[in-house]
Amino acid sequence: MSGHRIAAITRRLLQGFRRDRRTLALLFVAPLIILGLLGYMLRNSSTPAVGVANEDGGPLGAVVASALDQSTKITTTTIAASDGDAKLKDGSIVAYIVFPSDFSQRAQSGVIAPQVHLEGSQPNAAAQALQALQAALATAASNRPGAVRVQPEVSYLYGGPNLDTLDYFGAAAIGLIVFFLVFVVTIVSFLNERSQGTLERLMASPLRRGEIVVGYMIGFTVLALIQSAEVLLFALYVLNVHNEGNVLLIFGIEALMAITAVNLGIFLSMFARTEFQAVQFIPLVIVPQFLLSGILFPVRSEPTWLQYLSDVLPLTYAVNALRDVMVKGADLTWSSLQLDVGVVAAFVVAFVVAGTATLRRRVA
Amino acid sequence: MEVNSVTKVFGDIKALDRVTLRVRRGEIYGLLGPNGSGKTTLIRAIVGLIAPKSGTVTVLGRKLPNLDVLREVGYMTQQAALYPGLSVEENLRFFAAINGVESGVKDALEFVDLYARRGSVVSTLSGGMRQRCSLACALVHRPQLLLLDEPTVGVDPQLRVQFWEQFRRMAAGGTTIIVSSHVMDEAERCRRLGLIQYGRLFAEGSPSEVRAQAGTQNLEEAFLKLAGEKVS
Repeated sequence: MSGHRIAAITRRLLQGFRRDRRTLALLFVAPLIILGLLGYMLRNSSTPAVGVANEDGGPLGAVVASALDQSTKITTTTIAASDGDAKLKDGSIVAYIVFPSDFSQRAQSGVIAPQVHLEGSQPNAAAQALQALQAALATAASNRPGAVRVQPEVSYLYGGPNLDTLDYFGAAAIGLIVFFLVFVVTIVSFLNERSQGTLERLMASPLRRGEIVVGYMIGFTVLALIQSAEVLLFALYVLNVHNEGNVLLIFGIEALMAITAVNLGIFLSMFARTEFQAVQFIPLVIVPQFLLSGILFPVRSEPTWLQYLSDVLPLTYAVNALRDVMVKGADLTWSSLQLDVGVVAAFVVAFVVAGTATLRRRVA
Repeated sequence: MEVNSVTKVFGDIKALDRVTLRVRRGEIYGLLGPNGSGKTTLIRAIVGLIAPKSGTVTVLGRKLPNLDVLREVGYMTQQAALYPGLSVEENLRFFAAINGVESGVKDALEFVDLYARRGSVVSTLSGGMRQRCSLACALVHRPQLLLLDEPTVGVDPQLRVQFWEQFRRMAAGGTTIIVSSHVMDEAERCRRLGLIQYGRLFAEGSPSEVRAQAGTQNLEEAFLKLAGEKVS
């Protein structure tokens, strides 16, 4: 071992980085952005909105309702029980709790039985609502000596008590996996086209730029479709991820995501000169989308300004569409699904245009 | 093929400075100049890869940019630009297809003496074979105008002789060839030469005319003398 020779290697490495501003930025700026985003989301996310309908003829309903108001786990609003399902569907609340007219009366005989209606596609939010209710009931029960049985009647708008974590995340995960892998493969191979000089040859041929982009898109889409089918079948039949919707529709949405990823890859390859730089797009493009697209945390519980950011990411719409289909059983007659699919398709068109427009600048 | 007063600027460097030249059908025209003199930029302007800041390029009577005329142009880049994962034949078929032709693959492969290796994957070929394959890809669609950017860099002398023999045969068949080089003995083989330095085409003529202009015995001295006189 020679200290001089080792020092030469170390120095060479650091010298190279000094000129590679982008890598330095990645090393020292990206962690702050990613960690900051995560921290901000976890600390400042709003608590789930829960509707409370108190129809109790006696005093107990009001006691529990006010205890719920005090809870820091949820944000309560007073609603009419008959409006509850509509509010669950439009997403303004994740659960509503009804204290039926005989709530106090039954409590006298030792049974506390509120009705809990859960939206069912957001496991974290539902768990928080249930915890808040349990805490509120414990407060109420402590005022009332004697043996009491707490027996909430829980019902689900979508899914049910048998759905586990994988069932909720599986839908989003199959989309994310396909998006991520297709993106990486596309950006690197389009970059190869440039670094090996063949792109220059293509541009000096009668090929039109649009023909290059669309040809690439179709080629990668063929691969992506096979991958999508494989991932989907594995999720459904090996992992037994819960599915309420049409398998072909899921496949269609996945395919659309893959095509988005292909075109995003072609477009972004413009901004990378080496494969090394292309790989750096992963933390910049994939990680924020992973955090912000509603895969882990519902978009509506994010701080407001992050919601705006979520709203311009293609993955947000794609994940939402996949969840709607697999957990809620949505089909193309649902306006929310039409919107999601429409937005993702619009992203595809935008990336094709952007990729084509920037192709010439890449060669010159 | 005509280049008329073309100027191209990169930042504050004038890569091409009012370059004008005209090449006739069936001619082998050599662009001679050191590295960084503007040879590659000129060739890229002729195939329409870069848009000149001012001036025009006319190929086969049509003004560029024009995609149709590119069908009649073959372009061999400085490094062998090939798909390393495809076989020799697959590469040729691809470049034939994007130029809209089906046939000619076998002829092109025989022309560069690679027919026997047509099934080999490009990444397994030697540098010289890649260079030949790259040449074959540039002429597989039988272009009327062939642009070769330092085609013999890294090519051994024996192969270089073969290359030039092929260029002469093609020119005899009516193909116009523009070839860049910084090797003076190659320049001797061209019908006409354009001497280029700092983006300026400062002398033109056949090799003997260029020598006579400078009053020197060989092209290397002629280049240096003329460059010293005309480019400051």
